[in-house]
Amino acid sequence: MKGIEFFRNVSIGRYVDVDSPVHRLTPVAKYLWLLAIIIPVSISGSTTVVLASSIVALACTMLARVRVGFLLRGFVPVLPLFGIAAVFQAIFSWPGDTSAVLVAIGPVSLSLRELLAIASMGLRFVAMMLAIGLFTSVTTEGDTARGVEDLFAPLARLGFPARGFALTIAVAFRFIPIVAGEFESVVKAQAARGADFGAGARGPIRKARAYVPLLVPVTIRALERAEALGEAMEARCYGVGPATRFVRSVGGYVDTMARIGAVTYLVMALASPSLLGWR
Amino acid sequence: MPLISIQSLSFTYPGSSTQALSDINLSLEPGEYLAIVGANGSGKSTLIRCLNGLLVPPPGTVSVDGFDPAEAAGRIGARKALSLVFQSPPDQIVASIVEEDVAFGLENLGVPYDEMHERVDQALGAVDLLAERHRSPRFLSSGQQQRLAVAGALAMRPRIVAFDEATSMIDPNGRAAILRLMDALVARGITVIHVTHDMDEAARARRIVVLSGGHPVFSGTPDRLFASDMLARYRLERPQSYDAALRIGIEPMMGEDAAALGQRAAAARGQDIRAVIRGLYPVTGPAQAADPGGIAFSVRDASMSYSSGTPGDRPAVQRATIDIPAGSLVALVGKTGAGKSSFLQLLDALAIPDSGTVVSLGRATGDRLADLRALRMRAPLAVQRPESAIFEAYVGDEAAFGPRNQGLRGSRLVARVRAALDAAGLPFDAYRDALTRTLSGGMKRRLALASILSLDPEALLLDEPTSALDPATRREVLALIQTYAMQGRTVVMSTHSMDEAALADMVVVMREGAIVASGTPDAVFGTGWDESWGIGRPFAWALAAAAEDALSMEVVR
Repeated sequence: MKGIEFFRNVSIGRYVDVDSPVHRLTPVAKYLWLLAIIIPVSISGSTTVVLASSIVALACTMLARVRVGFLLRGFVPVLPLFGIAAVFQAIFSWPGDTSAVLVAIGPVSLSLRELLAIASMGLRFVAMMLAIGLFTSVTTEGDTARGVEDLFAPLARLGFPARGFALTIAVAFRFIPIVAGEFESVVKAQAARGADFGAGARGPIRKARAYVPLLVPVTIRALERAEALGEAMEARCYGVGPATRFVRSVGGYVDTMARIGAVTYLVMALASPSLLGWR
Repeated sequence: MPLISIQSLSFTYPGSSTQALSDINLSLEPGEYLAIVGANGSGKSTLIRCLNGLLVPPPGTVSVDGFDPAEAAGRIGARKALSLVFQSPPDQIVASIVEEDVAFGLENLGVPYDEMHERVDQALGAVDLLAERHRSPRFLSSGQQQRLAVAGALAMRPRIVAFDEATSMIDPNGRAAILRLMDALVARGITVIHVTHDMDEAARARRIVVLSGGHPVFSGTPDRLFASDMLARYRLERPQSYDAALRIGIEPMMGEDAAALGQRAAAARGQDIRAVIRGLYPVTGPAQAADPGGIAFSVRDASMSYSSGTPGDRPAVQRATIDIPAGSLVALVGKTGAGKSSFLQLLDALAIPDSGTVVSLGRATGDRLADLRALRMRAPLAVQRPESAIFEAYVGDEAAFGPRNQGLRGSRLVARVRAALDAAGLPFDAYRDALTRTLSGGMKRRLALASILSLDPEALLLDEPTSALDPATRREVLALIQTYAMQGRTVVMSTHSMDEAALADMVVVMREGAIVASGTPDAVFGTGWDESWGIGRPFAWALAAAAEDALSMEVVR
């Protein structure tokens, strides 16, 4: 459709409904692997570890029968950011960089070390997009919330509101399409009365003011709907006592191995560079 | 001991000086079927919320299954005993999967795993949603979503189920399914409380309580209520079948639908019934046979879909072709999701067809040079629940938003706003400086319509303009629309009420995005009628058809 359309059908992530060993893992095991890839990719200084983590992410993707291209499409919006970061890498030299200069245009030169830094940064981006994209492709909205509950289950014994926390996430998921729908409805109502949004540059204040007819009703409607949902939850005895769960996330032997594997990998990835002297 | 007992219950909202409920005394036995009726703002929802502690009543005034919802412990007991189904279907869904949503209440109660699954199965079976159990509720129709809410309530194994205007936001078929569910619950010995604006629905109950200004003014059988002379005083009306029975001259029966009444009437009056029905519901021809104004909207082979070009592509309108004569009142009908809202947006140029053309008031909306903003103001659309778009603090400013965008200032602006507010039943002098947030629901709807009338448009596009209003306000809003149409301007309105559709010059039926029929009400609901459209028939036509069937059966015998 052309014309005014918002993301009425947005969903966080894009769950790919196929059966695979990765899909069958419990949410906790998926969360652990997500962390096991993302943490080293973000903080490790070792190119070897970044490369290894990328390969692990790629292997998981294959195992999950999800197309790599589908996941990397999420990378496109971040590309300009990556481009800027890459340019900065090239413009500003590393202190004490003695590696060979590959290209030089005027005062700006690209050394081998800079090129490696750019490549490693690109790899980090790709690995992270793969890991996050894969997680949302193999985990339903419900599992995403339940996984949080399970992850924090040990803390729940100490009084941490794990179920409440998980429910917050579930409700947030529920509200994304609701708020998008309200927004669309209000935009249409005001557009029918001649409001124009962002049409023509007429100064920031006028532009901002054009959004007042949107923000007030959308906020009120979102709060009203939140209140309605809150009432419905309360009427269904939310928070009256210790709760049980309809969906059990119990994994078998494979799941246990996957969890142990994730923790082992994370520890190794963080410890091995200093232990083994990798770079 | 009664299941519910209410003694001298009064309730005032915090910060308010007026009582929302005053001196209510009521008791309900197990297996009762009670309807609560009253105008918008009469305290119906407040009363229901006092029963399960969503609002805290004064201690000792309310007892539900032996629990006092004024106390924290009693509230839990009351909520277990009384399940509540709310008005808006999507606003009571918590989980992202149908069966998980049914289980939500059971999880909260700490029901063991195996029992929980058994109860969820039963509840889904009872509302006929087993086939949808693994789907996302987002993709259910509003009628299905409401059945899901009932399943969530049933799974709690309550002794009472209260429906708070639970049928007001769903289409006729979805509504009929919910009403059947209520009957099934009562048959199982579950007490049903049904808060409704619809007198035909209320008449199905065994007892009716009328609230007015927070005070019960009547409690008794539907027979007694509808035979009394108090209806107009409390902005209520007789059920259609009751009214029709009286006019036909036979004994009215409570909760009877048009089909049953038609049969009974045919049996009682024989061949005469045809003339009687024709006399009661005269079929008027099209208002303007010559249609001097030409064509207001011309739609040719227009299709549009949401999220087109993505895997989530959802067709909304498919190859629609129709001419809408200028100066006519057109009713757009069809099931939820049939494409009515999308079609209205095509006419308003809020949506542009992916293929085909839409010519609105002489301009093709797909034309890149067309000034869509100006076009939209000539034929503005009131979206569903348009009052939700109100944003100004004062009534006068809200109504002035549109004409200001048209460039009007000073006395011309004031004149425009005055005319619109007066026409909408919110007299300018009394309401210009009223705060929008203090208006009642019905008044907000009028204000929303006034804010569109103030554009002095050539055509009006209205998406369910009478939904969720009480009968009296509904009639007033309809009268407002008819008055506007009588000035020779075009109105296209969608509606779930076939009786409203029957008032139009032209009825357009949509199914799965396509226009499947159009013509005068008599052509669409009479000779051209097709059950497969999934909509009801206006009362008069349903009555006539049932009588006709009964007569032909008689002949066969």
